[in-house]
Amino acid sequence: METARKFKNMFSTVPILGWLLGILAAVLIEYYWGYDYISYYLGLPKIPVLFGALIMLKNPMMIPGAIGYDLVVYVIPVLLIAKTTAFFTNPLAAMLEKTPLWLSAIVHLIFFYGVLHLWAGINDYRVLIVKLTLISIILTISINVINGYQGEFSCSHPGFMALGAYVSSIITLYFFVNDKIFGIAVLPPALGPWLFPFALLAGGVAAALGSLLVAIPSFRTRGDYLAIISLAFMFIVKSAVENLNGIGGARGMGGQPDYAPLPIIFIWTMLCIWIVHNFVSSIMGKALNAVRDDEAASESMTVKTRKTKMTAFTFGAFWAGIAGGLFAHVLAYINPGMFSINRLAEILAMVYFGGLNSIVGSIVGAVSINVLGEALRPLELFKWIIIPLILILVMIFRPYGLISFKEINAKQLLRSKFKREQGA
Amino acid sequence: MRKIACLVVVTFVFAMMFSSSAFSARKTVIKIGINAPLTGDIPKVGEGSKYAAMMWLEDIEKLGGLEVGGKIYDVELVIEDNESKAESAVKANTKMITQDDVLAIVGPQSSKQAVPAGEVANKYKTVMISPWSTNPNTTLDRPYVFRGCFLDPFQGPVVANFITEEFGFTKAAVLYDVASDYPKGLAEVFKEAWEKKHGAGSVVAYQSFTTKDTDFSSQLTQIVKSGAQVLFTPQYYNEVPLIVKQAKDLGWKGPIVGSDSWGSAETVELCGEPCYGQFFSSHYAAAGAKGATKAFIDRYTATYGYIPDDVAALTWDALLLAQQAIQNTGKITGRIETDRTAVRDSLAKIKNFAGITGNMTFTDEGDPIKCAVIVKINDKGEYEFYKSSCP
Repeated sequence: METARKFKNMFSTVPILGWLLGILAAVLIEYYWGYDYISYYLGLPKIPVLFGALIMLKNPMMIPGAIGYDLVVYVIPVLLIAKTTAFFTNPLAAMLEKTPLWLSAIVHLIFFYGVLHLWAGINDYRVLIVKLTLISIILTISINVINGYQGEFSCSHPGFMALGAYVSSIITLYFFVNDKIFGIAVLPPALGPWLFPFALLAGGVAAALGSLLVAIPSFRTRGDYLAIISLAFMFIVKSAVENLNGIGGARGMGGQPDYAPLPIIFIWTMLCIWIVHNFVSSIMGKALNAVRDDEAASESMTVKTRKTKMTAFTFGAFWAGIAGGLFAHVLAYINPGMFSINRLAEILAMVYFGGLNSIVGSIVGAVSINVLGEALRPLELFKWIIIPLILILVMIFRPYGLISFKEINAKQLLRSKFKREQGA
Repeated sequence: MRKIACLVVVTFVFAMMFSSSAFSARKTVIKIGINAPLTGDIPKVGEGSKYAAMMWLEDIEKLGGLEVGGKIYDVELVIEDNESKAESAVKANTKMITQDDVLAIVGPQSSKQAVPAGEVANKYKTVMISPWSTNPNTTLDRPYVFRGCFLDPFQGPVVANFITEEFGFTKAAVLYDVASDYPKGLAEVFKEAWEKKHGAGSVVAYQSFTTKDTDFSSQLTQIVKSGAQVLFTPQYYNEVPLIVKQAKDLGWKGPIVGSDSWGSAETVELCGEPCYGQFFSSHYAAAGAKGATKAFIDRYTATYGYIPDDVAALTWDALLLAQQAIQNTGKITGRIETDRTAVRDSLAKIKNFAGITGNMTFTDEGDPIKCAVIVKINDKGEYEFYKSSCP
């Protein structure tokens, strides 16, 4: 314990900027020497894609090599660079602190994205995982608005996702692609990537309108009743799409153009985090929490409960629609079977694992379930024993999820760690 | 504390330096990817694919490796689970292509995974052979994607012709799952073929249900009342026994005919007596097989304890096709992109490949021209060859 505390103290003076710089160094090392030198001398066939998790589980002989790789490429450079550059990253962070918060946040995000892009760019498999994880983050945050902040138990998220996915796919296929369902493109395909945000927004709006169908008849019910109505909605959407032969029916719809590269998805995810954060910390967001804790009491305190609930519900559905649209354009294929009970279980697992009523929690939940699912891939069947087991343990020891009821404090996160060192 | 830490690090470094794997040159290994549903809705299908692949690897290892252009190469299988999910199949393909550097991929089996996964394989210019996917979109406009089985537009007419010739019936009923890609497509094709033969309205009952339904009595009552002489139901092994039993209970007397999805060993096990004497179209028939097909069936049965279904046989053929294509390239350069394209070109050129599920020649789309087999479930519950039908 003593060593751990000392260790922690040693690095407490490093600002976020310093850590980012350290990671950048690690990624550059991997980029230039990872394949030709480091993994070669460690006897690894290639650069380990997920910190060696896949290779270790597949072939236990590789464990020392993979751990060695992680140490040489990630742990040591990150710690070393982060610590040694603290002398100039701290003043830099202090300088950024004086600028408006949004500017400082954007500078940090751009830096972060650059590092992420470089890391993922080493292997297309990483790109795909990062893309799907980012989409999961949007999904988890959006369901957290309903299941966490509003305290309902909604099961229609896959349905909203399907609406968003289908509507945005229909728009891009109809306007920008020569395909079998809708024939020749109406607009020049070159416009596609520029107008893609509108297709996504249309998908989001469609999902929001769909959510009104659930919200209007069920706004008087709570708990189990809403769960059942929303579950029914999910099945209605699925069956409807299955029986609509015009859009592929059960065969699905394919050939979506590749309009969702990593930077686009990253921007949408950050927009989602920012907007949802503003929403839940607004007066409406606070009213939402009041409705969750006691509806009658909040009604008597002049909260318009009906309007609050409806807004939050459509808002959550809107972002699920956006996520669905991005998802469709990453996979370039969708079928109604994808948006069924399995997807619901996955989304609920992410939100309850990460933590209710917290954006950080949602991010943690989405990232950990996605990365775990990928890292444990070589275990095949046992993967489905280990992940649920972890979920059960989390539910027993932290019933509200890993990080619940906590908000991001961007200012505190990004500040310089200089002053603390001086013992202020 | 510090001393111990230092010691551990030093030992570790030394162990690494002198371990056999360190500093060894990277060998050129031929890797074949298997993308199979080992978990999820249809694990039996994944199991069959995996077992067939393991048997193939065993054969190669017995020979000491795969010989290409006079040089022997080690062969490795990369078996990935696609959880019977589309995005997981896409992830598995991306991983195998970009991380494991596979030369060719066999799988995924179901169309709902094969269609999106084929997109990935084609994008990265890697050969993918889907043994079991019957959706035309899997290979459409994708030069790098092939399949090992016939398509629905071929199978539907085969069944329609067989019923007409065998029984001389003119009125048929169809019962299918509207929510599942394969049964729905095949039901449509069958209806079209049947009505072309016997005129409009000759499909007297066209009933549907939804995946996971277990009670078909209302649909079957309609079918019995409609006066149909034969019932066609292109369903999977989990639904066929229920449909057949319920039909018999409701007084259905005529034959019930199925498609290649009946081919799993489970169908008869779950259905028992009522299924005896029924017919279905398939890729191969296990009972009464000869030559290489029999050798494969016997060996599989001896190793894994049950008769292989068509998925295993088709996977086996797909692997042999891949092997043949790799050997036909004549040389492995070690530059993976060049080798993949070479494999693609030589695979497209293969003519009259003698597989255990029949002879195959690929069309320009990467679909094989091959015969269908009509199988009869005999009185012992075995799948017996009855007739074959060629294009």
